[in-house]
Amino acid sequence: MPAILEVDHLVKKYGDFEAVKGISFSVEEGEVFGLLGPNGAGKTQTISMLTGVIPPTEGTARIGGYDIRKESDQVKKINGLVPQDLALYPTLSARANLNFFGRIYGLHGRELKERVEDVLRIVALTERADQVVDKFSGGMKRRVNIAAGLVHQPRLLFLDEPTVGVDPQSRNHIFESVQRLNRERGMSVVYTSHYMEEVETLCNRAAIIDEGRIIAMDTIKNLIAMLGGGVVYVGVSRIDDTILAQISALPAVKEAALVPQPPAPPAPEGKESNVEGKPTATNPVIKIVAQQNQQAVVNVLGYLNQHDIVISSLEIMQPNLESVFLHLTGKKLRE
Amino acid sequence: MKTLSITFKDLQIFFKDRGTLFQLFILPLLFILVFSGALNAISASDAPALPILAVVDLDGGATAQSLIGDIAADGSLSVQPCTITEAQSQLDQNKVVGVLTIPAGFTTSVQQSTPVTLDFTTGTKADPQQVEAIRLVLESIAADMTLESQILASLQQMGEMQANAPEQYQVFTTERILAQAHTQFENAQVRPLINIIQSVPNQESEQEATPDLSLSAIPGFTVLFVFLTAQTTARSIYEEKKIGSFRRLVAAPLSKVELLIGKIMPNFITGLVQIVVIFAFGSLGMRLLGLTPLPIEKAPIGTILIAIILALCSSAFGIAIAAIARTENQISGVSTLLLWGMGLLGGSLIPLFVLERFLGPIPMIVPHYWANRALDDLLIRGLGIGDVALDLGVLLGFCLLFFGVGLWRFDFER
Repeated sequence: MPAILEVDHLVKKYGDFEAVKGISFSVEEGEVFGLLGPNGAGKTQTISMLTGVIPPTEGTARIGGYDIRKESDQVKKINGLVPQDLALYPTLSARANLNFFGRIYGLHGRELKERVEDVLRIVALTERADQVVDKFSGGMKRRVNIAAGLVHQPRLLFLDEPTVGVDPQSRNHIFESVQRLNRERGMSVVYTSHYMEEVETLCNRAAIIDEGRIIAMDTIKNLIAMLGGGVVYVGVSRIDDTILAQISALPAVKEAALVPQPPAPPAPEGKESNVEGKPTATNPVIKIVAQQNQQAVVNVLGYLNQHDIVISSLEIMQPNLESVFLHLTGKKLRE
Repeated sequence: MKTLSITFKDLQIFFKDRGTLFQLFILPLLFILVFSGALNAISASDAPALPILAVVDLDGGATAQSLIGDIAADGSLSVQPCTITEAQSQLDQNKVVGVLTIPAGFTTSVQQSTPVTLDFTTGTKADPQQVEAIRLVLESIAADMTLESQILASLQQMGEMQANAPEQYQVFTTERILAQAHTQFENAQVRPLINIIQSVPNQESEQEATPDLSLSAIPGFTVLFVFLTAQTTARSIYEEKKIGSFRRLVAAPLSKVELLIGKIMPNFITGLVQIVVIFAFGSLGMRLLGLTPLPIEKAPIGTILIAIILALCSSAFGIAIAAIARTENQISGVSTLLLWGMGLLGGSLIPLFVLERFLGPIPMIVPHYWANRALDDLLIRGLGIGDVALDLGVLLGFCLLFFGVGLWRFDFER
């Protein structure tokens, strides 16, 4: 499959602040590609550059063979943008909104009418088309927002966090719409989200982005496989390098490492800050990457019991993009 | 086509907003109604102060004093005896309507029935109606004095002739006396003994005539409220940015110029509609209400030209506000303050001829001044398009300045 989008070392700077730090990736024709990262990671900035909203500071990209810097008019005809905001005119009806966005892309007359009816069907709002958008529920507004990005039949659709503030029913509807557009019309999609389940469900491949950089990029399956069987976090009363090495060597354990802890707050006057054997919030936590979660937990707990190490907490994380992100950055996606 | 789509969409949104419609169309009519009505009432109820005529008596004789006494006795003006210097000063400060100069030798000339000329110099900013009233009074009194002088001289001549005639011979019959009086009366009309020559210092005096206060409220509020639509443009752009639709427009195959023109056009159209509504009310509505109507029929082409440039200037100012203001508060608060402030300074709330007396040239720094001046000159003073060319040129200059600032500072990325 030829690439519809090729991003080459894209950079966006605001003064000294570098929002996007030279990212490169490509999206094949007909692919649903995910950009996964927490808020402020640089996803929206990247999409803004690719859709011609803001110019890149450095680097470039080609969309449908056209350079975003030199041939922005051609690029804009190929692109469809569904922004994170509900970019609609609330006092106009859904149909009036869609008519307007269609006209902006040069549609008119019968063609415009047919396209508007088509996208209203896709988002299942035909019967409510003449109602004022302001009267719609949050989920319905999101669906009109998506329809406005589809009305000119783009080859490449950028969906920027399209499910923020949406009820589960509308979210499922949005998923189904995206999947159907991709399956039936071959529309390529770049989907940004900080919800890992959405990217796992919809995307063939994904790039994990943090602080303006792509820190991992692969198929969803391969990204999750990075973690083997999953990750286990065990809070313990004491730890040292020998114990860590012995845990790492246990069967079903891929690797073990100490999670960096913030400094403990000063203890109240006259009290010990940590009593031996009594777990506290500041006890060390071991991160164990398992080849097989269940077996690894059994082996690690057995080892700790044998060595009289008190367990203060235990968290088992199944392998998914959330745990991959945590593994790679030490941060949660929704922090 | 794409530009028109943006314009049409904005107008659709605009006409759904009742608050804005009230502010732009109903509020100016209310202001005009209240101000014009109040000013009309003041004009009708206040007994106007008598116009003052400075009199410089260079003769000092009995006839001169008699003339001054007659003028004062007329009761329709106030006489203020002055020296030449004092009179000039009073005239320059517009404290007197005019100066009547009685030349040296006036009494002797009148007594000898030698024609004599009185100079009546009017002030540059004098009210033409007052000037005309004083001129009529002076001419009437001069004619009376001419007639009186000539009849007395004639009677004296007849008396002398009768004295020289034989006693049995009656020189003057009743018919001859009546015929003589009639001849003298005609002579007084054709060859007046006392002539009044009115000096008009320069052409400007007519242009600077004080406009009708109640009439000047209409163009004043038109200019103020047309400029207030600039705020609507700025708010529309801010709203687009706030809800994210502006980002969508920038991402569409649409040039920045097309986008900005699309956002300006609704303001331009709204401004023109506003002017039509306000002027229609000013002309027809005021007539129906028994108030002084705005004489648009005097200069229809000039009015259309000013309306177009005024609406354009307001639209450009809207883009400039949108480019400079960063927050909703700045658009709502600061621009309201700015627009009303400019209106106040530019003669929309207080007539320009009043403002200029204590602010001098300061009002010239705002576009409102030039728009108000052009409308006043065209519709109230009855001047032609050529006379307001400078005002329109400066207004166009403001347009270019505002567009320039708008394009230079407009942030398409934010």
